[in-house]
Amino acid sequence: MGEAALISLQHVGKSFKEGTLQVLDGISFDVRAGEFVSVVGPSGCGKTTLLRLINGLLAPDQGTVRVKGAAPVPNSDLAMVFQSARLLPWRTVAGNIDFVLALRRLSRKDSAARTMALLGAVGLRDFADAYPHELSGGMQSRVGLARALAVEPQVLLMDEPFAALDAMTRETLRAELLRLWSRRRMAVVFVTHDIDEAILLSQRIILLRPRPGRIEEIVSVDLPEPRWQNDPRGLPAFAQLRGHLWGRIQGMARDGVALEDLARAFPETEGQPRAEG
Amino acid sequence: MKGRGTGDRTKATPPGSLGFSGPPGQNRTRQRRKIWVVQGLIALSLILGMQLLNMVAGNLVMPTPLSVLRQAIDMWADGTMGWALWESLAVLGAGFGLAATSGVFSGILLGGIPFLGRVFAPFVTAMNSTPGAAFIPLIIVWFGLYTEAKIVLVWHAAFFPILISTAAGISTANRDLTEMAQSFGAGRRVLFWQVMVPDALPSILSGLRIGAAVSTVGTVIAELTMAQSGLGGLMIAAGNRFQMDRYFAVVVVLMALGTLISLGLRQAERRFARWRVVMAEAR
Ligand SMILES: Nc1ncnc2c1ncn2[C@@H]1O[C@H](COP(=O)(O)OP(=O)(O)OP(=O)(O)O)[C@@H](O)[C@H]1O
Ligand SMILES: [Mg+2]
Repeated sequence: MGEAALISLQHVGKSFKEGTLQVLDGISFDVRAGEFVSVVGPSGCGKTTLLRLINGLLAPDQGTVRVKGAAPVPNSDLAMVFQSARLLPWRTVAGNIDFVLALRRLSRKDSAARTMALLGAVGLRDFADAYPHELSGGMQSRVGLARALAVEPQVLLMDEPFAALDAMTRETLRAELLRLWSRRRMAVVFVTHDIDEAILLSQRIILLRPRPGRIEEIVSVDLPEPRWQNDPRGLPAFAQLRGHLWGRIQGMARDGVALEDLARAFPETEGQPRAEG
Repeated sequence: MKGRGTGDRTKATPPGSLGFSGPPGQNRTRQRRKIWVVQGLIALSLILGMQLLNMVAGNLVMPTPLSVLRQAIDMWADGTMGWALWESLAVLGAGFGLAATSGVFSGILLGGIPFLGRVFAPFVTAMNSTPGAAFIPLIIVWFGLYTEAKIVLVWHAAFFPILISTAAGISTANRDLTEMAQSFGAGRRVLFWQVMVPDALPSILSGLRIGAAVSTVGTVIAELTMAQSGLGGLMIAAGNRFQMDRYFAVVVVLMALGTLISLGLRQAERRFARWRVVMAEAR
């Protein structure tokens, strides 16, 4: 925290359907420049809404959202990576990246050079002229990531970017993301369902509870860096954090959050104590 | 071999998706050849049927294929058919061209500006649901019986299907893609022209395809009901004089014209909306 916050949310609330559906309530946290923060919470607790608020696609009903001290506007140093890649199907891979670079008023020549460099960074240089439908799901996700990095954002907002991928691709892309992050050091707000993924990637984890979305707990992750080189999953500290987080989730269940919500929310983390109700 | 090149297409279509298709690859080209053979047989039997009907029921009911062919050659040779075709194409081209530009333009406006779309929806529905023929007397009173009136009739017939298709395509543009563009700071203009309109291109093209088919019908109707001209006029004149061979020669040209137009537009659809076609095939 501290005064150097890049993103600052204060008592943020958001509701839909003319105020009848309170989605977020009293959300306060800061993200420092270059920090990697994960947001974890069951389905429907408002994680995507939170990202939209930070991006400036939505305005909060209560409280304030500040990015670099001002209300966020889409475009100003923020970039989104979506769960599905959301590529323009009528443009090639390179064309999709050019699309966002043109929005940032980059000259065509600079844009072409940067596009190729980025595609190289995500291992897709050979696919610059391919159309999205010619790519696998994992490759499409990489293009989505490259597109977001192309605008050289200070903040990368990622909405379950790897959830739709198979375990192996996901593992590769996590490592790639960490590598890119350690090189560029933009702030990352990473939404996920997967507790292991959150611990693996982030420096802090914001755990949300649903209906309305409130902050349950903010946990610091103190694991040795760089994590794409030494996998922390074998460390006792990792197991301890994971145990702690699962404890909190079971706590939520005891507080009356419907069990099937949680089961659906954290599906594929195998081998931890199941919530008993 | 020529068919080999198309073999890789089969990847996009899962085997069995058509219910009757066998194993992919070579069999695919063999099957296509079989389809051609059967189609040829059907065409041949139609021609034979004409001949048979002629022998049973006489010239008035059905001309012989050969006399139709002879008439066709004569009519092409003396320029009657060429001139009629040109007249029809002029009406069709002008009417469809006007309908395409005005229809796409209004469709983009009505689909892109929800307020306009909602305001005009009942009027568009009412106009589109009225049989086109209902406006013929009005068009005649306003525009007369000649080329202008015919063009107006064609325009009126094709305008609404094109408008409706375009507006629907734009207003249902993929929300995920528009949100993506917005999140990267796309302004209204970029959002509209670089995301919503390309996303709507397949429905715009299918609107144009429907519009072209309707235009062909409209052209013939105009040529029948207003001052007789073009292929429609030639056809009705021959019919009225019971010159059935002449009549059939014209019908064949109309058939070919309609087929060519819709083939051409389908090709354009393939080309400009390739991604959509491929995605549909992969499903
Ligand atoms: N534009 C909207 N209009 C009405 N309701 C909305 C809108 N956007 C979100 N909601 C509602 O807000 C709630 C939270 O949605 P949100 O997409 O933020 O959840 P989430 O935490 O991202 O869920 P998931 O993990 O399933 O993606 C849901 O109940 C959703 O129905
Ligand atoms: Mg979500």
